[in-house]
Amino acid sequence: MENEKKGTAIVITSGKGGVGKTTTSANVGSGLAILGKSVVVVDADIGLRNLDVVLGLENRIVYDIVDVVEKNCRLKQGLIRDKRFDNLYLLPAAQTRDKSAIKPEQMIELINELKEIFDYIIIDCPAGIEQGFQYSIAGADQAIIVTTPEISAVRDADRVIGILEAKGLHNPKLIINRIRPEMVKRGDMMNREDIEDILAIDLLGIVPDDEEIVISTNKGEPAVIERRSLAGNAYMNISRRIIGEEVELLDLDNNGEGKFTKILKLLFSK
Amino acid sequence: MKRDMVTFKGINEGIYLEVYGSDIELIKKELDEKISKQLNFFQGMKFLGVKAEGLTPEQVLEISLILKYKYDFVFDTEEDPLNRASKIFVEKDRISDDLSEGMTKFLYGTLRSGQVIEYNGNIVVVGDVNPGAVLKATGNIIVLGVLKGVAYAGLGGNNDAIVAAYDFMPTQLKINDIIVRAPDGGISQYRSPEVAKIYDGEIIIEPYLPNK
Repeated sequence: MENEKKGTAIVITSGKGGVGKTTTSANVGSGLAILGKSVVVVDADIGLRNLDVVLGLENRIVYDIVDVVEKNCRLKQGLIRDKRFDNLYLLPAAQTRDKSAIKPEQMIELINELKEIFDYIIIDCPAGIEQGFQYSIAGADQAIIVTTPEISAVRDADRVIGILEAKGLHNPKLIINRIRPEMVKRGDMMNREDIEDILAIDLLGIVPDDEEIVISTNKGEPAVIERRSLAGNAYMNISRRIIGEEVELLDLDNNGEGKFTKILKLLFSK
Repeated sequence: MKRDMVTFKGINEGIYLEVYGSDIELIKKELDEKISKQLNFFQGMKFLGVKAEGLTPEQVLEISLILKYKYDFVFDTEEDPLNRASKIFVEKDRISDDLSEGMTKFLYGTLRSGQVIEYNGNIVVVGDVNPGAVLKATGNIIVLGVLKGVAYAGLGGNNDAIVAAYDFMPTQLKINDIIVRAPDGGISQYRSPEVAKIYDGEIIIEPYLPNK
């Protein structure tokens, strides 16, 4: 860790719960670390922390974000180094407190401190638009909106984009999570264009619905690391786009299977 | 309810008399009633003295003399009863030598994520401790169920404290100031009670094997 870095703080938010904010935070954080950036992922979901579990770091928590903010410990004591990447750190949320434990001003101070140490600060925002959301976005320079192809999630995303703009966080980027190409093809699911039409913000990436995410979450190993899955590759591409590389969108029709298996499936599906 | 003016209290070394109020006549009357009801109970017991904040030394002496000569109380020493009484006052907070390992808090049911139990003494959980729950004790921690949360025992300098659980899978463990965490990756489950303690400056975890 070097000093005087002036990193970028990105908040991952969605409004609606359960659309994949924490999964996205873990994978984008790990992806940026794979690309050689120094990264800290901040779990802002006080009282309902998960990011530590998804990263497989739960057993290392001694101090948390509230301890750091209340100065019960030094910032570096609160930071947990990832077990796979030396340049990835986690600042865990407190589990025994609630969202009233942190004020936006304290968060801004914290993020500014982190910016001097890291290239990227990924803030995993809690669901909702209350206190937790308010302090999570307070220190952020950029925002990533995660949504799923459901009208309810898109509606909440739209609301959040409006609030972010009112708070001066312009041009958020969109991640469409858990898309199912075969459903889109059948016309049973909103497609990328439908969602982009409504939200009218830049698309950062599309992540397919993938069993591998469930498996990797339960193992505490972000999918982006092994990259056996389409979702893992999608998150890697998103990470590349964040650092400014131009990467084409994944071909989601290729469902992780080779062409040969596809032909076989077609032949035997009747 | 009206508070009794005179109360006999038992501690390890014997019994003593605690007196409230300052009306000596009323106190003497209540004392007579009390003793006449339970005279057999007091006979043969070692009497330590009188504790009375509202009475003058002369009045305390008067009560002591009544007990000694009217009711044949066996006095602990020939010492001045006043001195004894002041010593008892110090001893009152000490419960008994047999409880030197401290008090114990019992908890029934499942402790869930986000719950913190802190206790100056031992903690016994009759139930499970889920991941995210925290137990902090200055003494020992015993879980009669699955321990998956965080357990801090012997806080404040007790190296002899133990943590024991029927199913021992804590996320994190601390005894006195030594802290350890669960190994990464799958833990091979040891389906038998286990005990953690400090041995040679390290925390060791061993199966609990009754000597049978």
